[in-house]
Amino acid sequence: MNTTVKIWITSILILVLALTFLLIGSGLDFDYLIPKRLLRLTTIVLGSICLAFSAILFQTIVGNRILAPSVMGYEAVYLLWQVLLLSILGAHGLAMLSVNGNFLISIALMLVYSWALHYWLLPRCKNDVYMLLLFGLVLTMVLGTATQYIQLSISPGEFSIFQGLSYTSFNRSNPETLLYGVLTVAVVLWIGRKTLPVLDVLSLGREQSMSLGVNHPQYVRLYLALIAILVAVSTSLIGPTAFMGVFIANIAYALAGSNKHKVILPIGCAVSIIIFLVAQLFVEHVFNYKTSVSILVNLVCGIYFLTLIARTRGTS
Amino acid sequence: MMLRLSGLFAMLCIASLMIGAQQLVWSDVFDSSKSAWLTLTASRIPRLVALVLTGVGLSVSGVILQHIVRNKFVEPATSGGLDAAKLGVLVALTMLPGASTSSKMLFAMAFCFAASLLFIAIISRIQFKNTVLIPVLGLMYGSVLSAIAEFYAYKNNILQSMQGWLLGDFSRVVQGHYELIYIILPIIILAYLYAHRFTVLGMGEEMSTSLGLGYASTAALGLILVAVTVAASVITIGAIPFVGLVIPNLVALKYGENLSRTLPIVALGGACLLLLCDIFGRLILYPFEVPIGLTAGGVGGVMFLILIMRGAR
Amino acid sequence: MITVHNLHKDYGKKSVLTNVSLAFPKGCITSLIGPNGAGKSTLLMMMAKLLEPSSGHVSFDGQNISDIRTAEYAHHVATLRQSPGFNLRLTVEELISFGRFPYSRGSLTKQDSQIIDEAIDFLALEDLRHAYLDELSGGQRQMAFLAMTIAQQTDVLLLDEPLNNLDMKHAVQIMQALRRLCDEQKRTVILVIHDINFAANYSDHIVALKNGALSFSGPAEQVVTETNLGNLYELNFEIIRSKRGCLCNYFN
Repeated sequence: MNTTVKIWITSILILVLALTFLLIGSGLDFDYLIPKRLLRLTTIVLGSICLAFSAILFQTIVGNRILAPSVMGYEAVYLLWQVLLLSILGAHGLAMLSVNGNFLISIALMLVYSWALHYWLLPRCKNDVYMLLLFGLVLTMVLGTATQYIQLSISPGEFSIFQGLSYTSFNRSNPETLLYGVLTVAVVLWIGRKTLPVLDVLSLGREQSMSLGVNHPQYVRLYLALIAILVAVSTSLIGPTAFMGVFIANIAYALAGSNKHKVILPIGCAVSIIIFLVAQLFVEHVFNYKTSVSILVNLVCGIYFLTLIARTRGTS
Repeated sequence: MMLRLSGLFAMLCIASLMIGAQQLVWSDVFDSSKSAWLTLTASRIPRLVALVLTGVGLSVSGVILQHIVRNKFVEPATSGGLDAAKLGVLVALTMLPGASTSSKMLFAMAFCFAASLLFIAIISRIQFKNTVLIPVLGLMYGSVLSAIAEFYAYKNNILQSMQGWLLGDFSRVVQGHYELIYIILPIIILAYLYAHRFTVLGMGEEMSTSLGLGYASTAALGLILVAVTVAASVITIGAIPFVGLVIPNLVALKYGENLSRTLPIVALGGACLLLLCDIFGRLILYPFEVPIGLTAGGVGGVMFLILIMRGAR
Repeated sequence: MITVHNLHKDYGKKSVLTNVSLAFPKGCITSLIGPNGAGKSTLLMMMAKLLEPSSGHVSFDGQNISDIRTAEYAHHVATLRQSPGFNLRLTVEELISFGRFPYSRGSLTKQDSQIIDEAIDFLALEDLRHAYLDELSGGQRQMAFLAMTIAQQTDVLLLDEPLNNLDMKHAVQIMQALRRLCDEQKRTVILVIHDINFAANYSDHIVALKNGALSFSGPAEQVVTETNLGNLYELNFEIIRSKRGCLCNYFN
């Protein structure tokens, strides 16, 4: 199957799924139901773009295929920061800070975390991916504990604001945050647009890309910044995604049959959109809300990830 | 060393008895003033006993599991055992409404045992042995098990309560609601009697066989001890991760891993860590309590991270 | 003593050992030699009761070893695998004391401690007695494991490549210790070894395997010949005999 055919098939699949999602059992209620669903659909698409891009970019920079920002504790840092803000400023204070302010500070924090990870942790675990992975998993657990701890000390009203943040869901976004999200992602994509071929070189590793004349450190800094922004957007829009990123990226590599990021990245987005739509449709119409997207995604991606690691050998 | 550790342990025990929302004055106790005596016998002493037994039980089962799997980063929380026990309790609750404590215990034990066996089967099929790969797999395996538990709980509308009572918490321990934890006592004695064999187990199947030890039966016994301990602690206290990992590793650094010599140190160390975490959790937001699952998870997790980084260097 | 009868071992469709029958002489050092993949370790593991033969059997003093209980067998035959891959933090003395496990099952008697001391003396490990295994060099570690096997006080010792990754000095030390074990204590040592020169100079008896079948066996001085070794390894051999033993040159 060549690339064009694949793109056609995935596009049609997405379109069908999206229309099903919008219209199924809606009674063509254009006043309330469909606009609501449209909002969720946009959230899914935007979240998917962020998730797929951040996961694939991260794997390219780190140079292996079993890590993703979510596994390395990015999302846990974001959530801890949000609950900290909430406990220091209170719900009122958080509102004062406004969405923009919060967003900017969060991104700055994620950037600091990215750099700490890249310049402190990575050189120390250079030869051992599993060491990194174990570190990420345990750090996520510890940060989760800290988050829960702070939750205990905030008032119940504030608690309920936060409670929603810690699960994957598409219901929490409002048009305003979505708009900011779309703008941010558009800026990120515009910046990243020109450097796509460079990404392919970066995947060859530091030494090789330097000898091909690519300023490796500079591009790594740039991409770490972009990843931080994307993770902040995706976590604020759809919540933590755990192993979803690894899942999407690996399926994208398999489907793309190419090492070109020009091909891998769009396929990754498509895979992510399809999975989220299917999960959401299942939750709404098969399980009748007896389960949640978060649980489904954890279950499926968790099992996939388990088999992936069990099969992977060495440090690839 | 044993002496210093015992001294610390005794001090922590006394501190644990003294601290709490209800002020306790020692002279009152000896006055046989009723309220002080009641506080002591109905709440403080049961809590102390539960803390010590759980701490000892968890660190001992951690060290046994490490010898069976032959990996220093394995314990019930990093091999799926803890999550399996939770799942077992959940299944007992939904399948047998009004389940008695003992039937919950049986379910939790069976699940924990089966999950540990499955985990060992999985890792024995992996060709590429790497010290940190095993706990990574174990954590993943645990998160799959707990995703199944969540799926199940969400369907039966008990997700909220499950999250509440599965976080380790000693504040529920009062007279009449914690006695199951005493089952850890015979387990510890058995573990002590078998300490030497568990060390031989840690040398691997071939070495054990050539030393004349029945490998499979000893490993099975070890797993049963672990399963009983984990099940009892999950049901009475809730989940407390990382205690069984941190203490044995710290003890091994200083005193080695000859269990017949180090098991008492591991046991006391586990009790001291839990006592410390508990006292800390009771004081930091005084008069409210932070559940021990959080304090021990946080403290243990940070220590685990340090251990990982030590290994990285 | 150990004899093997028509031993076969298959892994799936691949057979690694076919129709091997042998008797291992008592009170001797017997070296198992042969190219990689000849089935030497497989044979040793089956004699150690660590591996089940696909057909045929191993007998010890006339009794089929599959009828002997593991705990009982450990009183007669001790096995040391190459680089026992465990990372337990034990001191040398603790490790050696586990050699007494088959007898004491954990509680050491005075006699046990004495035997442990003898094993330590035998290999001159006194200085390392309280050192942790993970702080030792490869050669020292190997000596410690050998001491543990010696402390098991069995008639037969089965060693799988005990010289693996050792420098010359440690290799000679270990082989001399094995020699003394045989000469002074009348124990039987059977080892898998790759270095043909060590095998030729230190062993009484040699068993050569190739492609899972017996190539030749017999007393060392008789079977170590240029033709035998040349056929076994598919190399040109020159054997130089002198007062200090023999030297097998296969380098060019």
